[in-house]
Amino acid sequence: MPASDQNNPEIWQDELQHVGFVRRLLMARKWYGADWWFVAISAVMVLGFIFVALFPDLIAPYGPDEIVGTSFLAPGAYPVVPVLLVRTDSTAQALMDLAVPENAERPAIGVIMGGPTATALREHAQEIDEQLTSGKTGLRLRPRIERYASLEELLNDVSSGKLQAGVVDLHEFEKLASRYPQLRTGDSITGETAAAGGFLMGTNEIGQDVFSRLIWGTRVAILVGFTSSILSLLAGLPLGLMAGYLGGTFDRLLSLVMDSLYAFPGLILAIAVTAVLGPSMYNVILAIAVLYVPTYYRIVRGQTLAVKEEVYIEAARSIGATRREILWRYIYPNVIPSVAIIFSVNVADAILTGAGLSFLGLGMPPTIADWGIDLARGQRFIQTAWWLITYPGLAIMLVVLAFTMMGEGLMEIYNPKLRER
Amino acid sequence: MSQEPLFSIRNLTVEYVTRAGVVKAAEDISFDIRRQEILGLVGESGCGKSTLGKALMRLHRPPARIAGGQLLFEGRDLMKLSEEQMCSIRGAEIGMVFQDPMTSLNPVQRIIEHLTETIHAHEPETTDEEARARAAALAEKLGIRAERLKEYPHQMSGGMRQRVMISLALALRAKLVIADEPTTSLDVIVEAKFLDLLRELRQEFGLTILLITHNIGVVAEVADRVAVMYAARLVEIGDVNEIFANSKHPYTQGLLRSVPNIELDGEPLYKMEGMPPNLLHPPAGCRFHPRCPFAMEICRRETPALETVGPDHQAACWLYHPAAAKSEQHG
Repeated sequence: MPASDQNNPEIWQDELQHVGFVRRLLMARKWYGADWWFVAISAVMVLGFIFVALFPDLIAPYGPDEIVGTSFLAPGAYPVVPVLLVRTDSTAQALMDLAVPENAERPAIGVIMGGPTATALREHAQEIDEQLTSGKTGLRLRPRIERYASLEELLNDVSSGKLQAGVVDLHEFEKLASRYPQLRTGDSITGETAAAGGFLMGTNEIGQDVFSRLIWGTRVAILVGFTSSILSLLAGLPLGLMAGYLGGTFDRLLSLVMDSLYAFPGLILAIAVTAVLGPSMYNVILAIAVLYVPTYYRIVRGQTLAVKEEVYIEAARSIGATRREILWRYIYPNVIPSVAIIFSVNVADAILTGAGLSFLGLGMPPTIADWGIDLARGQRFIQTAWWLITYPGLAIMLVVLAFTMMGEGLMEIYNPKLRER
Repeated sequence: MSQEPLFSIRNLTVEYVTRAGVVKAAEDISFDIRRQEILGLVGESGCGKSTLGKALMRLHRPPARIAGGQLLFEGRDLMKLSEEQMCSIRGAEIGMVFQDPMTSLNPVQRIIEHLTETIHAHEPETTDEEARARAAALAEKLGIRAERLKEYPHQMSGGMRQRVMISLALALRAKLVIADEPTTSLDVIVEAKFLDLLRELRQEFGLTILLITHNIGVVAEVADRVAVMYAARLVEIGDVNEIFANSKHPYTQGLLRSVPNIELDGEPLYKMEGMPPNLLHPPAGCRFHPRCPFAMEICRRETPALETVGPDHQAACWLYHPAAAKSEQHG
């Protein structure tokens, strides 16, 4: 077709248009000085959080409400279980077995200086001694307590026979047990036997695993964030479209309502709504959804007002498009990209607000594993157990950061006004 | 080209209701658009050309409104049709090409979708394949290669987009295309090609074109007849050769003299005195009288009507009204 080619000076330029998605992604350059990989990283993080939220049981070692160990275990720490330590040829099993007649030589028992094991030995030896005295058995337990600075010295002296026995922390001994085959442990002298420990993020005040609760809490955070954002989107988008396109009294009235909602401090409004509705997950979702409807409404209405004045809308009318066609085929697709970006940032906001509500005791019922609740519970012990609030706090921060970064990054890629060429 | 009118505009008045008052952007306009002609509508910025063009399709939006008049398109009065009936006429029978091709296509739709959607909107029974085939055939005629149809508007140049706009109007064989300054944002080479295209399409499709422009050179090049607007009124209408060779209205004369011309030979270019009037408070009588070198007493009092002043040539000016000229001589 030579005639049309002649009219067409742009054939070689066609090649310039063949730029794929990946290339376009690479072309999105700066985001407040950071590079496109902000989007990649945040997308991976977001996907990760969603995965965790969908399959918490795959990752969390325990259930959200399971009591798995002693309370207030620091991350990685084991509870101290003071056990009797004797040579394998000894018959002693408990502290009581070391009791001797009144005039016999007092047994020598080694402990680590100043540790919880020394306290436990002193207290329990005295307790047993009092029982023996009052029971008129003729036996006494008044051990000669030898204090050691290091576990190895203690173990050496027990195995050499210098000491009858030692009282050591079970977990500490187990680390060195292979080097001392001639030693064995007896019973726990306190009766405390739970040795579970080494939790990644420690345990809380009732002995639940902080890490497991964190994982299960992701489910709540993502659920609240997404459902409330979707609900506000479903309300805000059509209302914004209608108000922007129809204009007039409808627009005025709706904008008045939305602006009043928007002018309210967000958390206070959510507090008011949940205070009226009562604490439950659905009420939190509803409260947050109400809170963010104006965000979508304003964005969509503003975009609609701008798009409606574009020449292509008038051109659409000139080819006989009806109002409904113009709204759904011309205005809606041109408005939706900015909504998608708002959505991501909005999810982050909703998670933050949901956690805030729970923190104030107005959100989830306290039985649910939720970051906000964990924060609220942990803040009472902030001076003794830093891990109770640090990890949920970090989790909230990371989720919010991931969603916000993804939203802003996408805006950078898809908004040509921000894109540098 | 026949003498039979396709579209008769009778006493059309379009006004903008503003806070400062009612502005009549087109007042008491009557003219015919004849079948298969290219009618050029010229006038300076703000004289109401575009308002008139949109009102012809009832595309005006508030605060604009049609205050009165008839729009007789093939005998039907468009003013009496409902909005739905107008929708079925827009695109199918009357198409429009806008000034800025850069913004007159939906940025999120492919070119082919623009075309098929137009076809579907008016002929819902057409299958998708048929619509696509028709669109491709039409685009081919307009010099748009088939593989470019799957592109988005931002991937095309201004000239190409203007072709797409025209093809939208032609997709349903519109009888009349209202082109509102279609070449204003194009460079002269693309403009020339586009004007050639208009002429070819008129031949091939039997198209009638209303070409709204402020560029009198464009009109001279393609139009069969010319209508001249000044301050919301039609002041002169007639055959293009007649108007250019023998213009009657002082405004048209001034307009033609102020176009740069190779025969100027060093003389300074003519500059019309004064400014177009404020349409909120238009001057009484002939709107042009404050600037008219031949203004008479009657021009300040009475509004002139269009009078036949030559073969296929009408002008609204008291100078050519025998009674008025006489009264002036006596006075």
